[in-house]
Amino acid sequence: MKQIALITILAAAAFALPLVIGENPYITGILISVLMMAALSSAWNILGGYAGQYSFGHAAYFGAGAYTTLILLTIYPTLNPLICVALGIIAASIIALITGSIVFRLRGHYFGLASIAVAEIVRLSVLNFDFTGGAQGILLSDVSLWGLDLNSKNPFYYGMLLVLVVTLGITAYLRTSKTGYYLQAIREDQDAASSLGINLSYYKNKSLLISAALTSVLGSLYGLYIRFIDTSAVLDLRLSIEIILTAIIGGVGTLWGPVVGALLLVPLAEMLRSNLLGDTLVKAGLVSETSALGIFLKENLAHAHVLVYGIITVLCILYLPKGILGLFRRTK
Amino acid sequence: MSFLQPLLSGILTGGVYALAGIGMSLVFGVMNISNFAHGDLMMLGMYLAYFAFTLLHIDPYLSLVLIIPTAFLFGYVLEKLLINRVINHPHQNQILLTIGLGLIMSNTALLAFTSDPKILTTSYSSSAFNLAGGISISVPLLLSFLITCVIITILYVFLSKSTTGMALRATSQNREAAQLMGINVAKMSAIAFGIGTALAATAGALIAPTYYIHPLAGHSFLLKAFTICVLGGLGSVVGAGVGGVIIGVVESMSSTYLSSDWKDVVVFMIFLAVLLFRPQGLFGNKGGQS
Amino acid sequence: MIQDLLRISHVSKHFGGNVAVLDISFSVDEKQIVGLIGPNGAGKTTLFNCITGFFPATSGEVIFDTKKINDLRPDEICRLGMARTWQRVKPLGSLSVLENVMVGAFSVTNKARQAEENAMEQLKRVGLTDYASKSAGSLPIGLKKKLELARVLATEPKLLLLDEICGGLNHTETDTILDIIRTIRQRGTTIVFIEHDMKAVTSICDRIVVLNSGEMLAEGNPEEITNNPDVIAAYLGGGHHA
Repeated sequence: MKQIALITILAAAAFALPLVIGENPYITGILISVLMMAALSSAWNILGGYAGQYSFGHAAYFGAGAYTTLILLTIYPTLNPLICVALGIIAASIIALITGSIVFRLRGHYFGLASIAVAEIVRLSVLNFDFTGGAQGILLSDVSLWGLDLNSKNPFYYGMLLVLVVTLGITAYLRTSKTGYYLQAIREDQDAASSLGINLSYYKNKSLLISAALTSVLGSLYGLYIRFIDTSAVLDLRLSIEIILTAIIGGVGTLWGPVVGALLLVPLAEMLRSNLLGDTLVKAGLVSETSALGIFLKENLAHAHVLVYGIITVLCILYLPKGILGLFRRTK
Repeated sequence: MSFLQPLLSGILTGGVYALAGIGMSLVFGVMNISNFAHGDLMMLGMYLAYFAFTLLHIDPYLSLVLIIPTAFLFGYVLEKLLINRVINHPHQNQILLTIGLGLIMSNTALLAFTSDPKILTTSYSSSAFNLAGGISISVPLLLSFLITCVIITILYVFLSKSTTGMALRATSQNREAAQLMGINVAKMSAIAFGIGTALAATAGALIAPTYYIHPLAGHSFLLKAFTICVLGGLGSVVGAGVGGVIIGVVESMSSTYLSSDWKDVVVFMIFLAVLLFRPQGLFGNKGGQS
Repeated sequence: MIQDLLRISHVSKHFGGNVAVLDISFSVDEKQIVGLIGPNGAGKTTLFNCITGFFPATSGEVIFDTKKINDLRPDEICRLGMARTWQRVKPLGSLSVLENVMVGAFSVTNKARQAEENAMEQLKRVGLTDYASKSAGSLPIGLKKKLELARVLATEPKLLLLDEICGGLNHTETDTILDIIRTIRQRGTTIVFIEHDMKAVTSICDRIVVLNSGEMLAEGNPEEITNNPDVIAAYLGGGHHA
């Protein structure tokens, strides 16, 4: 209950935030990314953090939502986007059920490997089919819902916030329910769980479906927000890894870990992308702008955010495997 | 086109895949780690061959004499410094660590060598033997296949005859028992990772003359190597060898009779089919539901 | 009243070409405590795994409560009322002691509050109340065994299979566990009990089944078993303290 109260308070604060910062598309854009990554990572966390089933292919569910929505809206421009979101959930659920039915009978390394294989099959299929726009991707010219100004970023800020709150709410509820206990039991020891009456594949599939459905909603929202998608934006393995990394850094299997991770990683990536970090180093006088290092930083740091992700992943696994929140968790 | 042509090129390419698959399987067997940096290690091998050729003017196949020890050392040190620290961690941490290392390798390569693909052109790159029946065999493919056979033979003899080789196999069979028998399993892990790296880099160097060399080239090979390992049974070296050839042939057949766009999809479908119907692999007895 | 709550007839288990358990038949009456003994590698734990669905038997029948359960999954068997403990304890390490037992209790209730109440009751029964909020992974082995017991009791089993529940414990701890088992039986639960400690077995069991190299060596009451020359030979031959 304490957690539900905390979610409500923070959600109220986040709700009021756009009023405080006013009309600033750049900042709002970053905030949308933070909310989206926090929600993606929280949705992944239900499966990966609580049930202990590390999916390395969550991009498939994100892409399923984004592609279903944009393909439908290109063919039927007057369709209510919410129907597209619902159909996206169905598409993602089908992929999830196929993955689950193949691999949840197996243990160990297999789920991780198979989740990548499924995601790659989805990615390559989308790339090779014509109706998906292939390598060109899909561009959506116009979209409308309830007369909202969808050219402004605010509706998407609130949309992402809503999904995040719902995801956190589901997670908080799960933690105190039979399903949540069962998922954690599966994570800790599958034989013990099974011997205590837990139907392993039912509960794994259940958590995968919840996780995939939420991820697909976020994909749909992202598609409506950006209105241009291609496989490298919504179906890439890199996205799957970013989702996991966000959870790891914040703290896997904790309610707030993914949010903390997103608050740290998304702005960091943005700073690298916009070369804020390189500029700061130069401005602070630490590196001369004309020196070889200065030029190198200026030219390359913008492309280096994946490299930085790699370094953070390695450091995090070696020194902080329980994430930032793991540091504060009381030792029983 | 004759059925034999894709079969033959499939077998030749598959040999090189087998090399990559064996490297991964050995690491899996001895260390029980899924190495997600394997593809990127292959990519490093490709660049090593490329720079040996362009800077030092060494033939890519001859450069193996330099690449193999370099890669072994690199893998050995990598294991000692980083990988062994997660050897008793949950699988997902091992996977994430190797993913992180892979990202560091590929993105460092991206910064250092840019994303422009490089092409390694030797005097015999596009030459081929023409056999009866209109079948032709590409010279670089044939050479790399022959070298693969030599390396696999040496590896086989090493694993079955030498003391270290036997210790490696014992560790792979049962890590705890091997330790009780007085085998230094920590050292075996480092050696296995060194050999795995050397095999990945060799596979990379061998395909360098026939592929585009670029920093993200490792990704598609990573999943291929996993498919090969699962097909052969995770941890089984012989299985990975056969698995490699099967995947090479499947790929070549699907390019010929389906479309080269879909060949990777076919490979991953096989991967899932193996998990569904024969999770212990065609030859393996480790892993699966136990 | 059902005479034989569990009936095992001609159960065999092969792993590849190896025979782990061969043609075992015996039955367990309601409210009995049956001991399953035998030297290491005799197939005791394998037999448990066959009965509880972890390794389905290669041939033969396992009948529980008049129902054939050979092809059921472990979780289905548990929900029918047969629960087991593990020789190598399997605590859900990062959960608390209470939460571990709640997981067991959830097989009879869907409500968290009810599960918590039931779990607290079981913790009291085995004397772990003071440790309720400790993390299960941090307990010493003696307490982990008690936790294991509390957790299966929370599933409210009709038949309890205990796999070396006293293994690795000292005399006082063993006596406590044996006392708990006696009270469990008094409440109507039937028990099958794998144990090495002959003293423990003879003091508590109504009947004893002896396995050796996967085959049934003898069956009878404690007195018959302790005087059986084959059993004595097997135990001394196996190098075990009888």
